[in-house]
Amino acid sequence: MPIRTPHFPDLLFGPAERLRRWEAALMALLAEHGYRELHPSLVLREPVPEGALRFFDGDDLVALRWDFTVALAGLLARSFPEPPPRVAYAGAVFRRPIQPWEATERFEVGCERIQPEGEPSGEADLELARLLMAIPGTLGLKNAILHLGNAALVRRPLEAEALPADLALAVVAALSRRAPHRVAQALEGHPAAARLTAHAEALLSELDGPRSLQALARSPYASLLQDDVVRMERALEGLLPILPTNLELRVDLADVAGLDFYTGPTLRLWAPGAQQELASGGRYDRLFPGLGKPWQAAGFCVRLSRLLDLAGTRPDLFEEPR
Amino acid sequence: MSAPTLLIAFPKGRLGDDLVPKLAGTPLALDPVALKSRVLRIPTATPGVAALLLKGADLPRYVAAGVASLGIVGSDTLDEMDMDLLELADLGFGACRLSLCAQTGVTLDELRAKPHLRLATKFPKATEAWLTREGLTAELVPLSSSAELAPLLGLADAIVDLVQTGGTLKAHGLVETAILGRSSARLVAARGAYLSEPGRIRPLAEALIAALKG
Repeated sequence: MPIRTPHFPDLLFGPAERLRRWEAALMALLAEHGYRELHPSLVLREPVPEGALRFFDGDDLVALRWDFTVALAGLLARSFPEPPPRVAYAGAVFRRPIQPWEATERFEVGCERIQPEGEPSGEADLELARLLMAIPGTLGLKNAILHLGNAALVRRPLEAEALPADLALAVVAALSRRAPHRVAQALEGHPAAARLTAHAEALLSELDGPRSLQALARSPYASLLQDDVVRMERALEGLLPILPTNLELRVDLADVAGLDFYTGPTLRLWAPGAQQELASGGRYDRLFPGLGKPWQAAGFCVRLSRLLDLAGTRPDLFEEPR
Repeated sequence: MSAPTLLIAFPKGRLGDDLVPKLAGTPLALDPVALKSRVLRIPTATPGVAALLLKGADLPRYVAAGVASLGIVGSDTLDEMDMDLLELADLGFGACRLSLCAQTGVTLDELRAKPHLRLATKFPKATEAWLTREGLTAELVPLSSSAELAPLLGLADAIVDLVQTGGTLKAHGLVETAILGRSSARLVAARGAYLSEPGRIRPLAEALIAALKG
């Protein structure tokens, strides 16, 4: 269904009640699993990116909170000598939309799992995936689809080939469009063109369950990616036995959204017929080292605004509230 | 509640003329009676799947917004609009060149040497990218149709336009002086529909590729 959201949505009685109820249910779920809430200020003084809603506070350029992960990272790096292992958040972020039908003010609930650098991270990734699997039931979504990806499947080959930044961007844009012919076109004449095109075809050949991983055997970078594939196999072994009946698990090898940020496993939650993902996250181990902290982190964010839109346009996808 | 009708956006005009006969006899054949009428939403041979007939420039927006789940559109249009959608296949047909064209006798070097080059086009993004690659600057004159007239009537020094056979250029005394890129029909999909309902969308995408590619 098409989505038509005002940029600064006013919520009337029904959606306002639903937002409050969903936010409370999700925060209770996260609290049950040991995630404690942090509430970064609505006004951020970090270097303000394009797309943020900016204004001057005296002589200082500041912005409304545009991203919880960035806001929390600043707060955590400033305030904690050791990383709190589990953090949750809820509230609004403000970003100028890329597509005209997106809202500028967006409501989100999310969580982060933070560890000292070097600790094994596989169990933390599984913990987040299990939590995300519980989200559809918590929100009353009748059916949902969880996509598992891994940013390393694209990152490592691009780094191994030492592609110039503009070519790497063109390859990522082509993969984002799921267009291997565009990869070939972007790399025409480059020595790695045939290898990276074959890799793109392997990444895009399947969008299905666990057997998708077998497609990587056809990639010229199969041995380079062996460890990542083993980690994905282990994740699937851990998740498939506990998969709720209303949740489908798919492996999406070509998930490149946020590739400049994510460094490892990625998670995306969809509902059948939804036009946008309803939650997303993954591992982003380069964020805290960039702020001078030897920590690694992963997390996910539930896009409540999109869920509110979906409940308005496709109420048949949701259970009646008890 | 049954699943809503799945819409496929087909282009009107040159690409559409190529496409309709190729679909005849396939599960996505367009209803011939509806095609002859003025309606723009045409049933197909598959129940629950209908076609929308749209202008190429509007088509990507319908797909990106998820109104249509699949669509066929020229890569030239896709490159100009840069919408967030998936491009599942290069279907190969409708192939043409995006070319810099000037009046017969005018060379590329002469155009390069102009202190104030004026280029008329409906492809400003591709033209700007070519100018950047060539280290040139130019005034772009935006047009939406009949660009061939611009050099003849002094509106521009040259045009950047799609060339398939060259017949229209020849008829206006124009020749290609440089090829900026190539275009062909692409199968596009709404990101949301493809990722959230692959079981419904992929078989249709595969049927379109089987009918139209090659």
